[in-house]
Amino acid sequence: MKVLGILVVIMVSLVSCTKKSQVNDDTIYGVIDANIKGLDPIQAADNYMIKAVSQIYEGLYHYHYLKRPLQLEPQLAESLPTISPDGLTYTIKIKKGVYFQDHEAFPARKGRELTAHDFIYSWKRLADASHKATGWWVFDGRIQGLNEWRQELSQGKVNYDSPISGLTAKDKYTLEIKLTKAFPLFEIMLALPPTFAVAREVVEKTGNEFLNHPVGTGPFLLKEWIRNSKIVLEANPNYRTELYPNEGEDVDRELSRLEDAGKKLPLAKKVVIQIMPERQPMWLSFARGELDHAIIPKDNYSQVFNGKTLREDIRKKGIQILNQPRPDVTFIGINMEHPILGKNKYLRQAMAMAINNQISIDTFYNGRGIPAQSPLPPGFRGYKKSYKKPYDFDLQRAQSYMIKAGFPDGKGLPTFRFELTNASSWSRQMGEFLQQQWAQIGIKIKLIPNNWPQFDKKLKSRQAEIFFMAWTADYPDSENFLQLFFSKNISPGPNNFNFVNRDYDQMYEKMSLLSPSPERLALIRKMVQLVNEEVPAIFLLHRVFRLPYQGWLRNYKEYPGINDFYQYLRIDLERKSKLKPKL
Amino acid sequence: MSLLRYCIRRIFFALPILFGITLVTFILFHLVGGDPAFLIAGKNASLERVASIRSELGLDRSLLQQYISFVKQTVTFDWGRSWSSQERVMDMFWRGLGPSLSLALPAFLISFLISLGIALLSSYYRGQCFDRGVLIACLALMSFSYLVYIILFQYLFAYKMGLFPITGWDPSWSGRWQYLILPWMISVTVSIGPGVLIYRTAILDESLQGYVRTARAKGLKDTAVYSQHILKNALVPILTIVIMQMPLMITGSLLLESFFGIPGVGGLLIQAIQNADFPVIKAMTVIGSIFYMLFNLLSDLVLTAVDPRIELK
Amino acid sequence: MKSSVLKTHPSLNRLCHNPVALFSALMISLYLALALFSALGWIATDFQTIANDRSYQPPSWEYWFGTDLFGRNVLSRAIHATQTALLVGLFSTTLATVLGLFFGSLAGYFGGRTDDLVVWLYTTIDSIPYILLVSAFAFMLGQGILNLLIALGLTSWIQLCRLVRSEFMKHKAQDYVQAAKALGAGSRRQIFRHILPNVFHIALIQFSLIFVNAIKIEVILSYLGLGVEPGTPSWGMMIDDAKLELHQGVWWNLGAATFFMFFLILSVNLLNDSLRDALDPKWHRPTSSKN
Repeated sequence: MKVLGILVVIMVSLVSCTKKSQVNDDTIYGVIDANIKGLDPIQAADNYMIKAVSQIYEGLYHYHYLKRPLQLEPQLAESLPTISPDGLTYTIKIKKGVYFQDHEAFPARKGRELTAHDFIYSWKRLADASHKATGWWVFDGRIQGLNEWRQELSQGKVNYDSPISGLTAKDKYTLEIKLTKAFPLFEIMLALPPTFAVAREVVEKTGNEFLNHPVGTGPFLLKEWIRNSKIVLEANPNYRTELYPNEGEDVDRELSRLEDAGKKLPLAKKVVIQIMPERQPMWLSFARGELDHAIIPKDNYSQVFNGKTLREDIRKKGIQILNQPRPDVTFIGINMEHPILGKNKYLRQAMAMAINNQISIDTFYNGRGIPAQSPLPPGFRGYKKSYKKPYDFDLQRAQSYMIKAGFPDGKGLPTFRFELTNASSWSRQMGEFLQQQWAQIGIKIKLIPNNWPQFDKKLKSRQAEIFFMAWTADYPDSENFLQLFFSKNISPGPNNFNFVNRDYDQMYEKMSLLSPSPERLALIRKMVQLVNEEVPAIFLLHRVFRLPYQGWLRNYKEYPGINDFYQYLRIDLERKSKLKPKL
Repeated sequence: MSLLRYCIRRIFFALPILFGITLVTFILFHLVGGDPAFLIAGKNASLERVASIRSELGLDRSLLQQYISFVKQTVTFDWGRSWSSQERVMDMFWRGLGPSLSLALPAFLISFLISLGIALLSSYYRGQCFDRGVLIACLALMSFSYLVYIILFQYLFAYKMGLFPITGWDPSWSGRWQYLILPWMISVTVSIGPGVLIYRTAILDESLQGYVRTARAKGLKDTAVYSQHILKNALVPILTIVIMQMPLMITGSLLLESFFGIPGVGGLLIQAIQNADFPVIKAMTVIGSIFYMLFNLLSDLVLTAVDPRIELK
Repeated sequence: MKSSVLKTHPSLNRLCHNPVALFSALMISLYLALALFSALGWIATDFQTIANDRSYQPPSWEYWFGTDLFGRNVLSRAIHATQTALLVGLFSTTLATVLGLFFGSLAGYFGGRTDDLVVWLYTTIDSIPYILLVSAFAFMLGQGILNLLIALGLTSWIQLCRLVRSEFMKHKAQDYVQAAKALGAGSRRQIFRHILPNVFHIALIQFSLIFVNAIKIEVILSYLGLGVEPGTPSWGMMIDDAKLELHQGVWWNLGAATFFMFFLILSVNLLNDSLRDALDPKWHRPTSSKN
C-alpha cells in the first residue's frame, strides 16, 4: 500500500512538471466526437470524416467563412462556373500554381501542380463502383457518360484513361462538365467533400493504404494520426496565398473576428484534433483548457448553462459561446408501410397533436431550438416565419382524432415499437418523454435502444415502426429536405418513412428542374403543406447548438457546411496565459 | 505420458475449440449486428448500391459459404481488410496491442502484488481484527460499480484536482504513462477486492490441509509452516488463477480504453461493433481466443509441474 | 419449535451468534421488504410521477435524494430499482450456479471425453471477451428483465465451473477419495458424499461473486444501452444518467443508486462470508491454531 502511495506521488509530481510548458503553446486543440474511419474524400459521409478530410483536401468551391446564409465562393476554381443557357454545360477555370502537398509518389519531391485532369480522375474514382464510395450520390445520374463508365468499368470494358463525354479538360486549367439534365444545384455539389481533388500518383502508390495517407492541396498536411486518439495537422508550407476574409456579418465585427482580415492562411502552425467519442472526457478536457473548443452534440447545455444563462463559474473562466443555428430538423418518423400507422391518417395526426413540443425543447434542449413547423429550417427557401403546421399540440383535439381514427383512448391499438438512435441517456430520456406524452391519448410505445448499425439496419430494411432522428442538410437548399419524402428515395434511401404520394412526386420532379423562382417557391410551399397533412413525420425542432470555446481562441465560427474552418483559427497567447491558470 | 505428447494432444484439442469460437462468433455477430452494406451505402443509399456492396463483400452468398470463408481466413491468419477503414486487420491488431498491454500489464502486476501481499498477511492473522478489517474493506471496495469508479475517479482526480490529463494518448514511451496512471488506479482499485478474497481463500484452504497440522504437530513455527508449506502449495491454485487472467489483458479493458481514449485492442473491438465491421470483430475474437488457449495450456502444465499427483491425460 | 431445530444444527447455531451475519441478513431482508412493498404499491408510489417544473431539485426533507430530470422522486426510483436488482441478481446467479456446479463436477470427476466436452464448451464461451458476449446475448434475446437475467446466467457460470473442475481433479487424486474408491464407493456417492461437500464453499463464494457481478454488469449494460427496458427504474440507468449530471452538481442520482447498491452488495458479501465460515466444517476444527 505504501509503495503504491509513493509511486502515485512520484508520478503525479512528474505529470505536473510536464504540464506547465503548455501555456506558451499556440497549437489549436480541436475535437471530433467520433472515431474517424479514414481520410479519403470519396468516403466522407459523416460529419466527423468530412471535418477531418476538409483540412487537407480541397474542392472547386467552398463557403465564405463568415457570411450567413452560406455563400458559395471559389476554392480551387478561379471563379463561379459559366453555365450554358440550357443549364447543361458548366465551364470552370481552375486556379494556376496550386500544388499538391509533397509525397514520395511525386518525382521531384516537391508536390505537383493541380490541373483539370486531377478533377476528372478524382471524379472517376468517386464513380468507380469497386470503391463503394459513400459520396457517389453526389454525381449519380447527373453527368453525361459517368454512369455508363461506372457500369463498363465494373465489367472491365474501360479503364481510368477512357474518356467520358460529360467530363473533359479543355486545357490544363479548364474543366468542362456536361449534365444529363438541368440541375440548378450542381455547383453546390462541387463544394461537397466527395468531389475534392486527389492526386492519381498518390492513390496508385499507396493503393489500399490511401485513406491513411492523405495528400491534398489544402492548408494543412497530416503529420500524425493515431487512430481513435488524435489527428495532428501542420500548416502546409507550400500552401498558395489565401487570405483571411475582410467581410462578414455585423456580429463578426463585434466579436473582433475581422481583426485578422487579409492575413495569410492558415493562421495556426499546428492543429491537434482530439478524437473523443465519450462526452464526459470531452467536457472535462475542455473545462481544464486542454481543448480550445468543444462540441456538445446532444445539446446537453446544462453543463455550461444555468437555465438559459451561462453559469457564473464558467463565465469567470473566460469561456465563450458560439450560437449555431443548425440547418437541420429533428423529427419522429413513422413507417408508412406499417399496417395500422401507415393506413390511418387520423391516428398519425392525433400522435402529432399529443406532443407538447415546448416541454421537449425546454427539457432536452434547454429552451434552445426553433419549434419546427415543417422540415425546412429558417434561411432555407420556402421557410416562412408566420407559417404554422396544421397539427400542433392540442390534447383535446388529439383525443377527438383518436375517436375519428377508430381507437378511442387507444383501445384496440397494439404497443408500438419506438426505435432509439443510440443508447445514450439523453435519447433514452427523450423516449421516456414521448412515452408519457402519447400515454395521454392511450398510445403505448415500447422503447428500443439500438446502436447505430442496428438502428440503421432497422430503418433501411423498413422494420422500424416509429423512430426519432434528425436530418442535417448536406447542402444549403430546401431540396435536400424535400427529397426525404420522394418515393424514389424510400429505404434504403433517405425516405425512411417510405412515404409514397403521387402528387408529391410530381411536384418534386418539377421543382428539381427549376432554378430559384417564385414558381419553385410556390411548389415548395405546396409540398410542405402536403407532408404536414399526411404526417409521415412529426417535426419537432431546428436545433440551435451553443458551442463553448475558450476565451483565447480567436475567429471561431464553426458551421455545418464550413468544414475547413481550422485554417481561420488562431490562439491569442496573451489571453491564454491569463486565462489558462484560472481553469 | 510424456509432456511433449501431452502438449501435442492439447494443441489438437485446440482445433475443435477454435471451431466452436468461429461458430459462436459468426452466429452471434451475424444475427445481432447491423448490416454493413447499409452502413457503407450511407444515408443517401439506393437499393442497387446496397446490392452491389453486398455482393462485393460476399454477403449475398449463403451463410454456409460465408462461414467456410471465415474458417479459411482463420486457418491462414489473414482476415483481409477492415470494411470501414480498409486497413489490414492484422496491422490494426498489432498497433492496438501495445497500448492495450501498457494499460493492462502494469495494472495487473500492481494489483497482483498488492492483493497477494494483503492476502498473505490477512490469512496469517486469520480471524483477527486485521483480517476482518481487510475482508470488510475488500467487500466494500467490491460493492461499487466499475462505472462509478470511472466516473468518480475521472471527475475527482483529473477534473477537480487536475492531477492527470483527462484523456488522451501519446505513442512515445516517455509520454504515454501520464495518460495511464489514472486508468491503472481504477483498474487496481477494482481488482484488488476480488484478488485478495480469491488468494486468501486459496491460502486458507492450504493452511487447513492435513500436512499443515502434521507440520505444526512436529513443532514447526508458524512462520516456517507458512513459508515452507502453505505458501508453496497455495501457489498452485493462485498460479492457475493468474495465468487464466492473463489473456484477458488484451481485450479486458474495453471500458477503460473507451473512456480514456486509449487506442488499444478493446477500443478497436468496440469501434468494430459500432461499424458492423465483421473482419475486425472476427479477427479480434479469434486472436483473443488463441491467446486464451495458449495460457490455458500453460496453466495446466504449471499445475502438473508443481503437483505431480495430478495426472496428465 | 423452530429455535430447537436451529439449535440442533451446530453451523446454523454458530451463524445465529455471528453479529455480522445477523446484520447482513437483516439488511437483505430489508431489501427484500423494500422490493416487495414497492411492488405491492405500499411504498414509494410516486416513482412515475412527473413534474417537469421541479426538475433536478436537490435533496430536501420532502425528497431525500432530490428529483431527476423529469422531477421524479429519486428515492422512490431507487427503491423501485431494488426489485430489478434482486430479480436480475438472484435468478441469473441461480442459473449460473446450477450450470457451473453441474458442468464442473461432471468434467472434474469423470475426466476423459466428458471433460473434453465441458472444457470445449467453456473455453469456447470464455475466450470471447465477457462484455462482448453478454452484450451479444442481450442483443440477441432483446430487452427486458427476463432476457437480461438469462443472458447473464448463461454467461456467468464459467469461473465456477473451472474452479469446481480443478478442485475435483485435485480431490480425486487425494487419499480420502482414493480410499473411498478402493472401498467400492460408486461415482455418484463419491461425487455427492465425498467431493462435493469439499468444494461447496467455492460455490458459495462464487455465488456471492456472481450475484455481485450480475448487479454490477447491469450497470455496464445500461451504459451500453442493453439494460432493462427504458423507463423501468434501475440503478444502472441512474448511474448512467449521472455521468453527465455530475458536472451540474447533480450528484443525487449517482448517490442514491450507489448508496442502495453498495449496502445490498456489501450485505450479500458479508452474509456469504459468514455462511462460509459457519458451513465449512474444516474451518472450525479445534486444531485451527490461531484461536
